[in-house]
Amino acid sequence: MKTRKYLTTFGIVAALAVAHVFAWRGAEISPGALADGWHGMARFLGEAVPPDLDWATVVQPGLEACLVTLAMGLLGTTLSVPIALALAVLGTRGRNPVVFQLARGIMSLLRATPEIVFGLIFVTAVGLGPFAGVLALLTHNIGVMGKLWSEAMDEVDPGPADALRVSGANGAQVVANAVLPAVVPALVGLLLYRLDVNVRSSLTLGVVGAGGIGFLIYQSIQLFQFKQMATYILMVLVVVIVVDLFSAAVRRRLAR
Amino acid sequence: MDTALSVKGLRKSFGDRTVLNGVDFRVDSGELVVLLGANGSGKSTALRCVVGLTKPDAGEVKIAGKTSAAMVFQQIHLVRRRSVIDNVCAGGLAGLPLSRSLAPVLFPKELKERAMSCLERVGLADRARDKASKLSGGQQQRVAVARALCQGAKVLLADEPVSALDPAAAKQVMDLLAELAHEDGLAVAAVLHQPDLARRHADRVLGLLHGEIRLARPAGELSESDIDALYAPDLVVEA
Repeated sequence: MKTRKYLTTFGIVAALAVAHVFAWRGAEISPGALADGWHGMARFLGEAVPPDLDWATVVQPGLEACLVTLAMGLLGTTLSVPIALALAVLGTRGRNPVVFQLARGIMSLLRATPEIVFGLIFVTAVGLGPFAGVLALLTHNIGVMGKLWSEAMDEVDPGPADALRVSGANGAQVVANAVLPAVVPALVGLLLYRLDVNVRSSLTLGVVGAGGIGFLIYQSIQLFQFKQMATYILMVLVVVIVVDLFSAAVRRRLAR
Repeated sequence: MDTALSVKGLRKSFGDRTVLNGVDFRVDSGELVVLLGANGSGKSTALRCVVGLTKPDAGEVKIAGKTSAAMVFQQIHLVRRRSVIDNVCAGGLAGLPLSRSLAPVLFPKELKERAMSCLERVGLADRARDKASKLSGGQQQRVAVARALCQGAKVLLADEPVSALDPAAAKQVMDLLAELAHEDGLAVAAVLHQPDLARRHADRVLGLLHGEIRLARPAGELSESDIDALYAPDLVVEA
């Protein structure tokens, strides 16, 4: 019995080792290339400091673009709420298996497709700009948030709902007074987490022309304006930290 | 005495495991009946069948009064984030229109007043505004009793109401259940795991074994051999 256990452990470790060897080759890992090319990076970074802090040409457009980025992240999150909620409810356990599989299937499909692919698709429909970005974010977010919400709903203790059902309350009364109060803090927490992620994702969407500060970073790299790029990255840093602090503070309050 | 709850021929199987094999009992207004029995003897299933949380395969349940039976649970099952008074109100939602029952701010004034008097009955009116999670386990169970009272039922069931409580809190809750029977005239049936508590608080004791009532005694006449027979380990069928 003990020998078998050791053999299993050995087998798992060996399989992991083999997987890493293949992955190393597949990803074309080459520490030598990194060592040889370090001065390329150093020059790049050297040219980025000091950041360009010219108000009219860099800082002001940067701040405006930050607002666009925040707006994209916000709308990409909130506009996905109705459909995500519907799919989440349909995707909870204990439902008709066909409905359950269909809802989970739709969510998996939307989750598996990266925002940037949705971005490229929507750009062809509505043209370049933040609107395409919002559409891309919300489509992907329906899949991710729907799944997270489904799982949160599955984990709710059925006890308080049972207690109200016993007292003769109807389905809507049970949901409103037992299920929702228990699940809403978790749902809001996940919503804020997704807001945090979506603000960061909207940066990469700038690359496919969805606007915002991500687009300015991409543009400044294309034009070799590394000092401008540095300013924009610092701005992104501030935005990301602020959103993160905000969502963490709200989640902490909800947990109490 | 008038019978408030009568159960006849209750049967329930889960797969090929028979949990209730024809259970008959009644509970009168004004008495506290305790159901004893080993794990898996069918006590909790019997209560869940009475309130409709589990659908029996056969049998008849008759309940006096306009509403169904009320129930309190071992795990208490309060909504922890809501206030004590809102939790109690939630017991009285049956029959209210949705426009008055979807959120605590919409609850009618009469409901709030009724909930408040139920809280007074369990001695926790001063904690009405506190969040349910701020109360101790024993206090939370008394709030759950108040929620059950707010339903206005004549029959109160309790599924292991004190198993999660310390002895002092357990005594308080059992005293409360006995008072509700003796002073307020409710028919109270409680599933317990502690024969001592049954002796001290109950009027009558029923013993379940293998899904059947094998014992019915006034609590004062409950003997050690009665209890040994109910809990004898060689008689317990492992599921």
